[in-house]
Amino acid sequence: MEQLYNGFVASLSFTNFFACFIGVLIGTIIGVLPGLGPTATLTLMLPFTLKYAPETGLIMMAGCWFGAQYGGSTTSILVNIPGESASVVTCIDGYQMAKKGRAGAALAVVAAGSFIAGTMGIVGLQFFAPLLGNWALSMGPPEYLGFLVLAFLILTALSGDSPVKGFLMLGIGLWMSMVGLSAMDSVPRFTFGSRNLMMGIDFLPLAVGLFGVTEVLVTAAEKYVPPVLEKIRFRDLYPNREEIRRSVAPALRGSVLGFFVGLLPGPCAVISTFLSYAVEKKISKTPEKFGTGMIEGVVAPESANNSAVMGAMIPLLTLGIPFSPSAAVMMAALEMHNVDVGPLLFQNYSQIFWTFIAAMYIGNFMLLVLNLPLVGFFARIATIRPFLLMPFISIICLLGVYSVRNSFFDVWVMIAAGAVGVFFRKYGHPVAPLIIGLVLGPMVENNIRKTLMMFRGDFLLIFDRPLALVFFGLALVLVLFKLGYPYVFRSPGMLPKGDGDSME
Amino acid sequence: MNREGRNSAELIFNIAWIIFGGMIIGMSLELGFGTLKNPGTGLVPMTAGFVIFVSAALLLFFRVKKKASRMFFTRHEITIYFLMLLVFSGWIATMPVLGYILGTFFSTYCFSKVMRLSGWLKPFLLSLGTTLFCYLLFDVWLYMDLPRGILG
Repeated sequence: MEQLYNGFVASLSFTNFFACFIGVLIGTIIGVLPGLGPTATLTLMLPFTLKYAPETGLIMMAGCWFGAQYGGSTTSILVNIPGESASVVTCIDGYQMAKKGRAGAALAVVAAGSFIAGTMGIVGLQFFAPLLGNWALSMGPPEYLGFLVLAFLILTALSGDSPVKGFLMLGIGLWMSMVGLSAMDSVPRFTFGSRNLMMGIDFLPLAVGLFGVTEVLVTAAEKYVPPVLEKIRFRDLYPNREEIRRSVAPALRGSVLGFFVGLLPGPCAVISTFLSYAVEKKISKTPEKFGTGMIEGVVAPESANNSAVMGAMIPLLTLGIPFSPSAAVMMAALEMHNVDVGPLLFQNYSQIFWTFIAAMYIGNFMLLVLNLPLVGFFARIATIRPFLLMPFISIICLLGVYSVRNSFFDVWVMIAAGAVGVFFRKYGHPVAPLIIGLVLGPMVENNIRKTLMMFRGDFLLIFDRPLALVFFGLALVLVLFKLGYPYVFRSPGMLPKGDGDSME
Repeated sequence: MNREGRNSAELIFNIAWIIFGGMIIGMSLELGFGTLKNPGTGLVPMTAGFVIFVSAALLLFFRVKKKASRMFFTRHEITIYFLMLLVFSGWIATMPVLGYILGTFFSTYCFSKVMRLSGWLKPFLLSLGTTLFCYLLFDVWLYMDLPRGILG
């Protein structure tokens, strides 16, 4: 408790408080805007956080991540356009509520539900992260390797429409992380004689290119359809007693479900929304009314995606393993600040961790205060035309990447990544495994080589490491399940009809 | 682009990754695989190359089997991508001479024209606002040392 108190004292300093405010404000605005997602925004913010202390940068970025989940619901409800992918489900019943004149109530209940979910998520993070951190100290290279293999398999299975595409992207990410001097024996790899490549491919230009520039290019070529904004008055923000009664349990269920789904690799926030919606529909006495403006179908997914963000922080902070692109950007930010995430974070940087936790409580409250009165303002932002916004984003991408190392090479990498990213987007290749592979590549290599050296070529020694055996065993079960699934469930009606993409 | 054209584009995309994966495997073997007791520098890159090669080959196999593609580029899209990338590249080419202030102004103007912002006043005001914002952010707030070019 003393550490948390000290965290509150530190996070209430002007700089940290202001950073939190800026983070949640930008996050909410980005969440509201269709197209740019939290990952793109975090990568764009990254260069600017380098001027500040690590905890300040982390607070700003986490506030932004949190705010983006929060803001996405506004446009889903008012305009029927999800601000980001985790708000797609909210459109189903949220927009129907808006059409019935209950947009204000939906937004208010979502804001309150997100606040509850965020707070529960922070409590979970505060409770589980140090425990898991201590437990992770007992993990050696074989355990880490087993865990990484399992995580990669889950990630590729959950990302995009085809696991094979996920594997391709993961392979590209892992290879990219190998470019430059080898960390273990300082041998140059894949540098092609270029001095710029000796230091490796930097994370920032690649991430900004794949998320920011790709989004700019795709949006530039798309036909713009102006959204129709549902009107909302401040007095409409009061939900009635019945709506409040029906929202409490879904908010709590969504929060718990989202938190645990957040621990999984992959697009956890998105998955948590679909799962919580399905759960609410399943346990509802009137499932047929879902899709016609049921408040349960709005509040549960929005609560879930907020607590999923907090759940996703746990593997990042305790193991140093990001499970989502946004978490990977957070990890890159911490590494740029010379903060080693992982089990030792709580010993070596406990001040940063507890300041971050305290700032999250403040940020969560800030979001509630900010969102309710300014909901009309945020909704109007959604109607900003892309040709006004995207030139601005392009310039921020260019200057942001250039300013970190004053390197035009980095800008070329960003542009190339943006151009290739368009192909990835068009052909349905998920970018998340690439980014996570890039960030985790050095860790994978380190643990593979150390494990092989420890085992001296004798793989049966894995039986002396029960935890590693469990991880590898689970990975094997997952592979067998994935391969056997189409054959086991071949009977008519058990498999969804498709064009075969899911089988690839 | 007709259906065959779309299919060809995706086939080429997958074949490129197969070749790329093969190249990585070849270069990794040159780096040295080592032994299982003492793995070399090339082991993990070779694994990555193998993953790329096999995945791309499987995707190619499925694509050939399916003989159709839903994703494609229209001529309009290709033109916009090309022009946008040209402006991005132009920013890099002119930045040392013009500096970041003028570079930002002209690039924003070009970006907004490529994105079909009509007239000259709106793009002008947008460019002016973006330049002012960038100046305040990078110069006044963050004290970043960016090239100023002819503005000194």
